[in-house]
Amino acid sequence: MADVDVTLAPRVRLGSADLEIGATRIRARDDLAFVSVAIPQSGENALSEALNSGWGLALPDPNMTSLAGDIRAVRTAPDQMLLLLPNAEPDAERRVRGTLGGTGYTTDQTDAWIILELAGPDLGAALERLSPVDLSPMAFPVGAAARTVMEHMGVLVVRTSEDAVLLASAASSAESFLHAIEVSVRNVQVSDPET
Amino acid sequence: MSGPHRIDGGQIDRSRTLKFQWNHKYMTGYEGDTLASALLANGIRLVGRSFKYHRPRGIFSAGSEEPNALVQLRRGAYQEPNTRATTTELFDGLFATSQNHRGSLDWDLMAVNDYLAPFLSAGFYYKTFMWPRAFWERLYEPVIRASAGLGRLSGKPDPDKYDHGYLHTDLLIIGAGPTGLAAALAAGRAGLRVILADEDFRMGGRLNTETYEVAGQPGADWAAGAVAELTSLPNVRLMPRTTVYGAYDHGIYGALERRTDHLADAGASPRQVLWRVYTRRAILAAGATERSIAFADNDRLGIMLASAVRTYVNRFGVAPGREVAVFTNNEDGLRTAEDLRAKGVEVVRVIDARQGETVTGTIGRKGLKALTLGSGQTIPADCLAVSGGWSPNVALTCHHRGRPVWRDGIAGFVPGDDLPPGMSVAGAANGTMTLGACLAEGHRRAAEIASELGGSGSAGEAPGAEDELFNVKQFWHVPSGKRRAWVDLQNDVTAKDMRQSHAEGFRAVEHLKRYTTLGMATDQGKNSNVLGLAIMAEASGRSIAETGTTIFRPPYTPVAIGAFAGRSRGADFRPARRTPTHDWAAETGADFVEAGLWLRAQWYRRPGERGWRDSVDREAAAVRRAVGICDVSTLGKIDIQGRDAALFLNRVYANPLLKLPVGRVRYGLMLREDGFAYDDGTTARLSETHFVMTTTTANAALVFRNLEFARQCLWPDLDVHLISVTDAWAQIAVAGPHSRALLGRVVDDLDLSNATFPFMACTECTVFNGTPARLFRISFSGELAYEIAVPARYGDSLARGLMAAGEDLGVTPYGTEALGVLRIEKGHVAGNEINGQITAAMLGLGGMVSLTKDAIGTALSQRLGMTGEDGLRLVGLVPVDRGVLLTAGAHFLAPGDPEDMAHDQGWMTSVAYSPELGHSIGLGFLKRGAERHGERLRAWSQVRDQDILVEVCSPHHVDPEGERQRG
Repeated sequence: MADVDVTLAPRVRLGSADLEIGATRIRARDDLAFVSVAIPQSGENALSEALNSGWGLALPDPNMTSLAGDIRAVRTAPDQMLLLLPNAEPDAERRVRGTLGGTGYTTDQTDAWIILELAGPDLGAALERLSPVDLSPMAFPVGAAARTVMEHMGVLVVRTSEDAVLLASAASSAESFLHAIEVSVRNVQVSDPET
Repeated sequence: MSGPHRIDGGQIDRSRTLKFQWNHKYMTGYEGDTLASALLANGIRLVGRSFKYHRPRGIFSAGSEEPNALVQLRRGAYQEPNTRATTTELFDGLFATSQNHRGSLDWDLMAVNDYLAPFLSAGFYYKTFMWPRAFWERLYEPVIRASAGLGRLSGKPDPDKYDHGYLHTDLLIIGAGPTGLAAALAAGRAGLRVILADEDFRMGGRLNTETYEVAGQPGADWAAGAVAELTSLPNVRLMPRTTVYGAYDHGIYGALERRTDHLADAGASPRQVLWRVYTRRAILAAGATERSIAFADNDRLGIMLASAVRTYVNRFGVAPGREVAVFTNNEDGLRTAEDLRAKGVEVVRVIDARQGETVTGTIGRKGLKALTLGSGQTIPADCLAVSGGWSPNVALTCHHRGRPVWRDGIAGFVPGDDLPPGMSVAGAANGTMTLGACLAEGHRRAAEIASELGGSGSAGEAPGAEDELFNVKQFWHVPSGKRRAWVDLQNDVTAKDMRQSHAEGFRAVEHLKRYTTLGMATDQGKNSNVLGLAIMAEASGRSIAETGTTIFRPPYTPVAIGAFAGRSRGADFRPARRTPTHDWAAETGADFVEAGLWLRAQWYRRPGERGWRDSVDREAAAVRRAVGICDVSTLGKIDIQGRDAALFLNRVYANPLLKLPVGRVRYGLMLREDGFAYDDGTTARLSETHFVMTTTTANAALVFRNLEFARQCLWPDLDVHLISVTDAWAQIAVAGPHSRALLGRVVDDLDLSNATFPFMACTECTVFNGTPARLFRISFSGELAYEIAVPARYGDSLARGLMAAGEDLGVTPYGTEALGVLRIEKGHVAGNEINGQITAAMLGLGGMVSLTKDAIGTALSQRLGMTGEDGLRLVGLVPVDRGVLLTAGAHFLAPGDPEDMAHDQGWMTSVAYSPELGHSIGLGFLKRGAERHGERLRAWSQVRDQDILVEVCSPHHVDPEGERQRG
């Protein structure tokens, strides 16, 4: 143990920010851990089996997600997947590595991202002001995922329900990202004119 | 009744009276009015002054093509010049003033220009402001600038908000007249995703301004019904008040939506939204714009387009005159007369050019009073409705350089065959000039597209309507003798200017345009271009088809710069990246500097320090004598895993990486394909299959992109995987002779002695009683140094913990400036040196490029001229007079040599004041520099007017043997 009798205190970007603007809620999901899993060459079947036997989780197709209990897999590339899981334990990556038993290369990404949940019946209008990718329900149904850029910041979008998306972006620009989302939600509030 | 010129009918809500101010006089109008219709209803005829001659001008049109009625809207910082009264929706509290006059609108002092008109004809700029040369900047430019422009900007920051956004659709329909509505109904019913956009606030186009029937009901009623049905379709988005202003690549259209311009107070909402519309198909249904006819004094107040007169009467319930005459070369003039009579407005005469009748002059100083006709007769009239035919609105078809073609039958340019991909054109924009045919064509095009794209439903039947007569004679111009016949009302271009341009040799249409300024005003010549071309064609004896037309470019109508900027203003211009220790640094007195998007602490100010140098000198000295900490989290960090990760790294770094042992770090240099150095950094091996690479802050994204390219495209057979962990870890450099002592207190159970943890070692460990960490023994300063990384959430606490734990050791936070001083003292290169023109050999790192393996850039780094011993080499420089401060950018010259490129021997890349040495030091590239240590040269800077004698030395100003970092 260290000579000093001190432990380090965590300080999570955005903390548990939670805003309600009209019918829309923007909430920082600091309760989620993020672990990337790279799929080894020719290792897709082995990983798929490990996911299934470990959590009953299917390996989703690229740009899609799968869900088993409280663990969500997001396929971001042919050989890359991100796992979103509750952050109760601080060692999500170790837990994932253990479950996968060497069938995937894991990297902890929890602190690399901040995750905002944007929820409400009008979220489509706010997203139109931000996303070059078509996020309308018909083009981006529940379970779909996409990587795009909003206000110069890289974003991973996941539609979790008809009325909610998760938006993950770089932790270092967390404050700018929250601001961009907030401005968009405010800009489409009902003070907008009837047409 | 709101205003003396109101008549019955119209699509205005007479139960809702709106109060507004025009030139500080209170007036009223109704909901549904435009500012123009409300002004006409109030008997206002004079609304502005023309650009050049300051001629009194009145409302001329009823749409976005308006050349005359440009006003300043709103007050104070909200003031917006050059707003078209004809498209400005009236609202309660609207405040508008006229523009482009000195003194009052009625008595404009600048009207003197009109008397000087003989000297101000086409091309007068080019002829007049030539001599004497000394007058160019001192007299002509200020005078021209003072009289240029129409309205005035407030000069204050725009307090309005703007936003931007992205829309996606199967079919974008541009224009919601009969064609657009028929198309939207067909596509909407067929199940396509449809956007229907129109610049007007009321959809329906000519159906609202004319009196034809559609499907057995009045056109305006049918339009309202169509809009209601479209509103009910979830797959259709109606966008009124939206101008599609440009057609861009890949089916992308630019559209400006005016969301709150019709409200007195925008509240918190953005005023305008600039949309990028991604489409699979588009139908241009933008209709056609009416033209005038050139005849003597045809700019008098009360002379308007016939379609405008009809619009004011039918849509707005306003009679623009009490005794109206009509001058026409086509059937529309006759229908205007019919509509006026039906509304009880007196039509004094229809002058039909097709019958050989003409208007040869007009009378009335403050507005039209009478007309003289070709027959010699003079008739009274206070309003003249002119129809010179229609020009299809083809502008958007030309945004990819398409050229419209002349069609004699309708006397207009129609779209050519080279349309932007995915665009089709229907209705009057396509030269289909009659109502029944427009409805059918709009419907048919949309139904075809629905079937191509696989629409789910049936497009239904096209709405039926009769085809009215469209019988136009190409008649442009009544000879006007010495009187002026106006072509471009906004820029004061006359028929005579057209002929003069021809006579002086400016005969190509693009030359004609620029010489005369025809069509170069804010209206872009929407109703004057074709008229001008026709007169030019007449003068040259060529046909209009041979004369051709000028190119149309975006935007179709003016778009405020603020709308293009959107929300990217002030602090929202770019996102900011903050390091995990940002708040701690701010509390500790940091001044921040922008490094790309990052905010980095450049130094930490302490009380009593007189300037940045005091802080930086203190910080650098603390690192050399005690211990300092510096947040280096901004360096790019790339997690690299895979069975072939080592092989991959060996191919991307010029130096060998294959056999790097687990638990060790190696400095690496990356070359571009062309052999020049582009980035450097360290790579640590955490396990057989797991590496962590660091890159420079500036190149983090570039290196990542290049590595992705290499693994996906160059060597897809390798099992290697990348993910950025830059933001995942807080990384702090701990540097200085006491760094081992400090780390010994905070690292859990790890022997930091040289024997077990030597220079370039790395390990995963825990710190501060259990926080997971990575420890690297690397040094940028040249001192005994480490970098310690913890999950980003612990970064703030780590900085505070190190400061507390090392207080008695003199631990000092240092910023990027001290970091720079330390690396220059040590002779480490950075962005100043690796500037894209530099090879490994020039950096003195030629030996690092391994020739026993192939890596990106290796082969081309051995090209002739890249490795020669006579090339530039990195050297250190010190001033011979130690009291002088060196400056970067100075060039090296031999004493006595002339200051020219031929004698240039290199340049100074980095300089710093070295607190360790007590004088200024520099790094630079010098020809054959490695063998010239001890030589004296001049560091000459023309920019700074400096000529400093310097001595060449090793770039390693401090500890050249590297004993400290290994100690």
